[in-house]
Amino acid sequence: MKLFLTILICKLLRFFGKLIGKGSSLPGKIALRFCPDILDRVTLPQYIIAVTGSNGKTSTVEMIAHILIENGKTVAWNKEGSNQIEGVTTLVLANSTLTGKIKCDILLIESDERFARYTFKHITPTHYVITNLYRDQLTRNGHPEWVADAIADSIKDNTRLILNADDPLVSLFGEGRDDVIWFGADKLEGDTEICTGKYDDGAYCPKCKKFMRYSSRHYAHIGHYKCTSCGYERHDTDYTVTSVDLDKGLAVINGKYNISLALKSLYNIYNILAAFTVASVVGIDGDKITENLSDYVMKNGRVVNFTLGKRHGTLLTAKHENSISYDQSIKLAASEKGGCDVMFIVDAVSRKYFTSDVSWLWDINFDMLNCDNVHKIILSGKYCNDLAVRLSYTDIPESNIKIFEDIKMAYDFLNCDREEYIYTITCFSDKNKFLSLL
Amino acid sequence: MKLLHLYYDIMNLYGEYANISAMERILIKSGIECQTDRLSMGDNAELSEYDFIYIGSGTEKNQKVVLGDFCKYTVTLKSYIDRGGVILMTGNSFEMLGEIITDANDTEYEGMGIADFSVKEQNKKRTTSDAILKADFSDKELVGFINKCSEIYGVATPLFDVLLGLGNNSDDSKEGIRINNLFGTHLTGPILIKNPYFLEYTANLIVGEKTEINTKYLGFEKNGYEVTLSELSKLRKNM
Repeated sequence: MKLFLTILICKLLRFFGKLIGKGSSLPGKIALRFCPDILDRVTLPQYIIAVTGSNGKTSTVEMIAHILIENGKTVAWNKEGSNQIEGVTTLVLANSTLTGKIKCDILLIESDERFARYTFKHITPTHYVITNLYRDQLTRNGHPEWVADAIADSIKDNTRLILNADDPLVSLFGEGRDDVIWFGADKLEGDTEICTGKYDDGAYCPKCKKFMRYSSRHYAHIGHYKCTSCGYERHDTDYTVTSVDLDKGLAVINGKYNISLALKSLYNIYNILAAFTVASVVGIDGDKITENLSDYVMKNGRVVNFTLGKRHGTLLTAKHENSISYDQSIKLAASEKGGCDVMFIVDAVSRKYFTSDVSWLWDINFDMLNCDNVHKIILSGKYCNDLAVRLSYTDIPESNIKIFEDIKMAYDFLNCDREEYIYTITCFSDKNKFLSLL
Repeated sequence: MKLLHLYYDIMNLYGEYANISAMERILIKSGIECQTDRLSMGDNAELSEYDFIYIGSGTEKNQKVVLGDFCKYTVTLKSYIDRGGVILMTGNSFEMLGEIITDANDTEYEGMGIADFSVKEQNKKRTTSDAILKADFSDKELVGFINKCSEIYGVATPLFDVLLGLGNNSDDSKEGIRINNLFGTHLTGPILIKNPYFLEYTANLIVGEKTEINTKYLGFEKNGYEVTLSELSKLRKNM
């Protein structure tokens, strides 16, 4: 009876919440208060796939859902991105019958990395994807090792892990487990042997803390590593990006699946690879997955093409407090052969909580902007001074940098006869301050 | 002048490498020739040769690994501090100076014993806060962020009064440690970039009274500082 009532209440709250445009975590929150073990009482489907990690969760989950649905599977997933236990509870109960049976083939859960231990106390994923561990929101998360410890608490023995073999800290979750499914990229054109970023989180072995060596780095600490002391090394992969041609916009998986890229970044290719891996594990044919993923444009609003006066541009949502996310966006802009202007907005550091901390700007490799493809650089928002200081520590000529605290003034500057493409790089917290001007 | 960034590749969270860049720039802008060395695990630094030393913060695991290496400098570091050498330690790096660090599993790590405080870590919750800190040597408060999982007890000579943020432990309204010209604080990140007046103060200590420090180029730095101070002051009022 309690089960029935809790599900009913949750469904009703969800229904009315949707009508008035409320978020998706409140119904779950109330359901959990009413029946704390509700998630233990429901009957879950055959596949429960969880995805966590610092970056790429939302995109990976969206692509997995897309493939599965295209192939006739029914999928329940948290597409609104409420990824803590309350949001997951709403997701589960909204897709449940009143007797507590989940009405889908696959339950697909994006989980916040620090709160996964609470969610998965009640739900045991059959498969658990861990994408990567980066410096991300350090003001809340502490540091990647702290987050790794929190994720470790969420992993159960009878879950099959799907791990990024190229991330040494993520791969550590696979120690002592023999059924891990590994994904990663072969040595690629454009790889380096040394770290080219502003810091190196791959300098020391996560296991024994002695020096680590890379034979190949795709970016940051992602690549082919081996510890010089304990021998900890990158695992061979089951699902592999075997070659990439970013100019042509092509990624090849397992030597035969050619996927055409809507977003030409390596970063995006890892999300594609993770989605490919999960879909394969569920039993979807590789050719079908290739078809579904080719030229797939995300619907999650992270990339928005726009027109500004006579000019064209793209807004790339990087995450504030996440240098790798910025690095990837900057790299994409810097590869614009036709020339581009690049605008940065840092106005509110976070949309969820207050902080005035901009330390993370110093972890971003702004030096990549010092190239022929990038013409003007526009710095805007409340923290434009901090951006200006940061860029003064690069070799970018001062004359190429324009600073406007007011985002509208930056917009007006861009609204001119210049012919360059525009890249606007900013966070969820700030993107609408720009998009609303268009 | 010689600057040293010690454990640059393992104690370097939160963009902290920029602290050494900021010091290098202000000295060069003041007409002083500078050489910066970046040394780490297994290296042997002659601390006495340096005019400024910086160590940043690390993960709890990295801090313990570094402590094992850092202890070899106990005697030379003590004489560096005694002669008034300037050293900045941010985040959990200054915890190594105390008597003992007890980690979340109750394992004890012997500190350098340069100061007689003790440190207790936990692994349940990060203690974090934006911060406004007041030092007795300046009328300009420091701004920044504190991010830790430890409590420090028994600091005899703290560095700051906490106006907003976190003290050395949850019952303490004082933060950090000062011994001569050693500055230890749990503020993390490029604090010398974010706090141009503190940069000026420490640069003056390094060069002495006879040399004038150039601060004319610090326009954006000062504007950025004022914006953050103003934002954090609003936060303070609301608390």
